[in-house]
Amino acid sequence: MIVEATPNIMRSPRSVDIEVTSKCNLKCLYCYYFDNPAVSYQDLPTEEWLTFFDELGRIAVMDVCLAGGEPFLRSDFKDLLEGIVNNRMRFSILSNGSFIDDDIVEFIVGTKRCNQVQVSIDGASAAAHDSCRGKGSFESAVRGIKTLQMHGVPVGVRVTIHHHNVGVLDKITNFLLDDLGLQGFSTNSAGYLGSCRKNAEDVLLTVEDRQIAMSTLLRLDEERSGRISAASGPLAEARLWRDMDEARIKNALPFPNGGHLTACGCTNHRIAVRSDGTIVPCSMLAHMNLGRINRDSLQDIWLRSPELNMLRMRRKIPLSNFEFCGGCPYIPYCTGSCPGSAFSITGQVNHPSPDACLRNFLAEGGRVS
Amino acid sequence: MGQIPVQNPVVVLREEFDDWAVLFNPDTAKALGVNPVGVAIWQLIDSRRSIIDIVAEIKELFSEVPETVDKEASDFVDILHKDGFLGYDVDGKDERALS
Repeated sequence: MIVEATPNIMRSPRSVDIEVTSKCNLKCLYCYYFDNPAVSYQDLPTEEWLTFFDELGRIAVMDVCLAGGEPFLRSDFKDLLEGIVNNRMRFSILSNGSFIDDDIVEFIVGTKRCNQVQVSIDGASAAAHDSCRGKGSFESAVRGIKTLQMHGVPVGVRVTIHHHNVGVLDKITNFLLDDLGLQGFSTNSAGYLGSCRKNAEDVLLTVEDRQIAMSTLLRLDEERSGRISAASGPLAEARLWRDMDEARIKNALPFPNGGHLTACGCTNHRIAVRSDGTIVPCSMLAHMNLGRINRDSLQDIWLRSPELNMLRMRRKIPLSNFEFCGGCPYIPYCTGSCPGSAFSITGQVNHPSPDACLRNFLAEGGRVS
Repeated sequence: MGQIPVQNPVVVLREEFDDWAVLFNPDTAKALGVNPVGVAIWQLIDSRRSIIDIVAEIKELFSEVPETVDKEASDFVDILHKDGFLGYDVDGKDERALS
């Protein structure tokens, strides 16, 4: 089916998420990236990326987010950053922190184009952090953060909440905000994607864990004046589900994005590229091959890819169409959540994500207040 | 109004839908949404035209131009200057290069 470009779509993506390498020094138990059978874990040579960055510059992309794998493992990383800067873009980097040293940080500072370097921290001690990420990873991550701070680079920290660290969220918060002096940090949780599928029983949050994480994070965020953020995971769910339940009780009008598969809407402003050059809608939808860099026009894909436009049109699909949602009182307030998560669990992109279902959570003993 | 504005060469013009656009300065991360007239003004800034010249061309390009166009265009260019999207020509040189 041909789906025309949806109206009011930007002429090009504002941001592009790029997995510049498939190599990583760690093997985290809940990594969403590895162990995806649809992904070819190959890297491209420098020249391919630089040619692609020229294209991004021509179509006026504003910033790129470099991820992997571990992006700092690329020996040509400075060349890649120069290519980004030369094409009038800014950049962010997602890292485990292992290879952040004075030399690369001074280079980053010199570009004046860095939005943020985000480092993953999952514990307040090596024992908690290393339990899922590997021995020595805590020490190197903290060293990386301190190096970034010393040079004045904007540093973000992401805490992935899982079965083994849900009981130490107070300690993690104290460590990040007090000991490291961060302005804030963000949270999510291990999701049923990639390597996590193999280790789901060991690392995924149980309903009880989720309940603890939600109430603890809400309390900590209040105590810390809003310095904890979340776009997904227990804190985001705690806020959304509380609002949804209040709306249901008051029989309130539907939420503006409720009642349909609206999800996060990321396909309206950003797109992603895998380490082998495959263009995909989002890192969470790495199986959806839209084309290849330097062979296919990114702008053409952005405006005219039938698959991408069908994803954008998910927002027209009512949740009431799904047997899964039958009789649910939360439909007017629900977005169906992430299509990547939905695909990983159900095998369908056009389906609500069972992992983010409030009704299921309550039926399994969870509470929202 | 007699000054000659000079585009900051790192600034990106992102044309969006409906002829609106975003001016983006990657050095400062500042972004400014501009309407079709603003886009035209930006595109007329060529290091040769003064603001007076640019306003004259805007009056040619657009129908039903309001009487306040001179001040609005001048204010718009001032905002662009203040936020580092452009400089003014000083004796044949971009003032930003002189500072």
